[in-house]
Amino acid sequence: MSYDNVIELRELQRYYKMGAETVKALDGIELEIRRGEYVSIVGPSGSGKTTLFNLVGGLDKPTNGSVFIDGVDISQLDAYELAWLRCRKIGYIFQSFNLIQVLTALENVSLPTVFAGTPHDEGLKKAEKLLDQVGLSDRINHRPTELSAGQQQRVAIARALANDPAIILADEPTGNLDLNTGMEIIDLLHGLNKMRGLTLVAATHDLKMIKASDRIVWMRDGVVERIERG
Amino acid sequence: MKMNKEATGRVHFTLMDAVRLGRGYIRRRLDRSLINIASIALGLSFYTTMVISDLLYSTSARLGGGQVAVESYQYWLVAVSLVVSIVGITNAMLIAVYERYREIGTMKCLGALDRHIVLLFLVESFYQGLVGGLVGFSFGLASAIVITGFGAGFDIVLYAPRVSLLIIFVGSVSLAMALSMVATLYPAWRASKLNPVEALRYEL
Ligand SMILES: Nc1ncnc2c1ncn2[C@@H]1O[C@H](COP(=O)(O)OP(=O)(O)OP(=O)(O)O)[C@@H](O)[C@H]1O
Ligand SMILES: [Mg+2]
Repeated sequence: MSYDNVIELRELQRYYKMGAETVKALDGIELEIRRGEYVSIVGPSGSGKTTLFNLVGGLDKPTNGSVFIDGVDISQLDAYELAWLRCRKIGYIFQSFNLIQVLTALENVSLPTVFAGTPHDEGLKKAEKLLDQVGLSDRINHRPTELSAGQQQRVAIARALANDPAIILADEPTGNLDLNTGMEIIDLLHGLNKMRGLTLVAATHDLKMIKASDRIVWMRDGVVERIERG
Repeated sequence: MKMNKEATGRVHFTLMDAVRLGRGYIRRRLDRSLINIASIALGLSFYTTMVISDLLYSTSARLGGGQVAVESYQYWLVAVSLVVSIVGITNAMLIAVYERYREIGTMKCLGALDRHIVLLFLVESFYQGLVGGLVGFSFGLASAIVITGFGAGFDIVLYAPRVSLLIIFVGSVSLAMALSMVATLYPAWRASKLNPVEALRYEL
């Protein structure tokens, strides 16, 4: 299957009930993202960026509307198919890296290949190659606490690539990094997007990150305010 | 619309994978594991002390020594101590679950199913039960020899039936593993039901 729009959002709503009040975190998002596109999601704090990510990534369920990944409405997937989607189709990158603290860089990167059913040795080889590609070949046996923030984010990027996903979702990937380190991470992600044809969707406040993207989606109060070409 | 069969697959997490990962967790969070191991070992050594003392006294009686026996109320104490160690482990494992909120959420993002999380916790508790059982049995054996020694002689263990000792050994270690795993069931279940979004937002 090869749909031009790898992600399609239709009338997407996510409401949170807080006692008598309803918080409309997302209120009717319509969006198509093409294969290989680099899209930045920009908006003030509380505008719904993370909520959008959770829905696109199959981590949360919408109140109304649908998320289509490769033409499939993911609300129709059962727990097994959803796990498979998270494992094989999507790579997640977080602001706070979310590496497993007790595992080494190599083990962190190979963990997704375990869930994908890749033989152990093969998974480790793959992880080693990916760590090399993100410039950490001399740190593969370090644990997260023994790495700098930028290095941890590189490990997280390598981990997100472990099962060759079609989509990378990055929620403020440079949010915890200083200017230069952030710049390096942006270059790395941008390069992956261009060279591997990965679809990259990144929420960010970072102007440099926004500039590099093909399209910029401005959000406010749970709706898309405008869409700009990069 | 369902995914095509060729477009979808199954996530994997075999027992071997869980063992590999579980061992890593035990090794690198040794302090937590040691608390559980100590808890199991304590409860179990009390139990094995009683059972082995009983065996040694009856061996002594068979050889014409005095009639001493373990009082039945002492078995009540043993039961209570085992329950206490279960509660202790459950508590320690619940704390372990809180500590790992984010990691559990992360694993779910990487493709883990609920039962994979349960399996991981159970593997850890299996190992803790095994080590706790071995340590507990050793302590129990030693203290039984000391306790019965004054009345029945310190070498009485040499006359005890080997088969009975072996049965007690296997029984004690199995009991330790079973208790450890039972104590972990609830925390493991809680962990597996975590919603990834909430787990990831959790700040310790
Ligand atoms: N679990 C929740 N319960 C209630 N309200 C929530 C929950 N999660 C998010 N919200 C609300 O939804 C809105 C959107 O939040 P979201 O985290 O998506 O914003 P954001 O754009 O990612 O902000 P930031 O830039 O600060 O990360 C906010 O008003 C927030 O308070
Ligand atoms: Mg956010």
